[in-house]
Amino acid sequence: MTAPTIQCPKCHASLFEGVFNRTDPVPCPACQRPLQIEVFPALFRKMASGNTGELILTEGEAACFYHPQKKAVLPCESCGRFVCGLCDCELNGRHFCPSCLEAGKTKGKIKNLENRRTLYDSLALSLSLLPLLIFYFTVITAPMALFISIRYWSAPRSLIHRTKVRFIFAILFSSLQIVGWGIGIYFLVSNHG
Amino acid sequence: MAEPEYRRLTKTRVRRKGAFAITATRTSLWLGNDHLLSIDSTGYTEEYKRFYFRDIQAITICGNQRRVVWNWILMVLLIPCLTWIATMLFSAGAADVGLLITSGVVTSLFAIPLIVNNLFGATCNCYLRTAVQVVELASLSRIRRAQKALARLRPLIAGAQGELSAEEIPARLRALAQDVKPVVAPQSKPEIFVIDDPNSPPQSPH
Repeated sequence: MTAPTIQCPKCHASLFEGVFNRTDPVPCPACQRPLQIEVFPALFRKMASGNTGELILTEGEAACFYHPQKKAVLPCESCGRFVCGLCDCELNGRHFCPSCLEAGKTKGKIKNLENRRTLYDSLALSLSLLPLLIFYFTVITAPMALFISIRYWSAPRSLIHRTKVRFIFAILFSSLQIVGWGIGIYFLVSNHG
Repeated sequence: MAEPEYRRLTKTRVRRKGAFAITATRTSLWLGNDHLLSIDSTGYTEEYKRFYFRDIQAITICGNQRRVVWNWILMVLLIPCLTWIATMLFSAGAADVGLLITSGVVTSLFAIPLIVNNLFGATCNCYLRTAVQVVELASLSRIRRAQKALARLRPLIAGAQGELSAEEIPARLRALAQDVKPVVAPQSKPEIFVIDDPNSPPQSPH
């Protein structure tokens, strides 16, 4: 957890006044480095304490799927299992059980939990173009680029808006290389024959 | 046409994780509906960090000496080139046009970055603080650009958290610092041993 005070990033002196929410940088009182610090109300917000879940007191009450002795407070929005206050994982106003949250992260079902993506379109395009510098490599890389383009055609691309134009060019270039190799091999064989 | 989910906040900048360019990643900032998205890209993979507007505690812009350092480096490289051109121009006899063009190209290699470095303005490090981390926003490396980005972010964060006047911050910061007192672990009472016989092992008095 970060310290409760705002510090100068350079000299680490705690800052209390004179530098906050100004329109232009002002020198740090300790090291004179220009500083502009914008502070928001979240800094003074108390951290919410975690919910441990209530125990079941009367018979017939709905119990948590993971803790049978605890009272269920709501169902998971993904699998519908009842969960207690301890197991309730809230994400942008949606409630999930821990296993659905984990599955959502690993399988990429919950977009807001995704923190890494492979750009197969860029990979395919590079594989179809870069080996042209040393032409002989294209005999291996052209089929690889074609395979990646077809295999990952529907795979999620970058989170920011991106078209399939890289895949299209990768297919085009790799197909041309494969056709080129095919013609070359045909002529080699026919000349020797 | 549907509105894109993310709008660009900053241009892509190189963030060097090591001494060599091969380990460099490109970083950029994007505005989402309720969060700021930081993308670190190697070209083939992208890593995402989301900073929700409701969780951002502070944004710090701290000026640094990077522009001055680059100015010195470029000037040290530029001076011999300018001397070279001046020697050719003012020396007796006709100057070789080919050499003059070559020296002009070499000079521009250092002169253009020097001009650009100064046109972009003062350099800075920009940090974003949440309850659990302080992250450097590498794509905000110039004060002017950082201030522009901050001007776009400010109303979005204020919309999620509310406004905070500059006058009430010092008092609230002091109160916050006083609230958090260091937790001191209770010291255990030292055990007393009685040693009556120097040859026997230590024994408790009770």
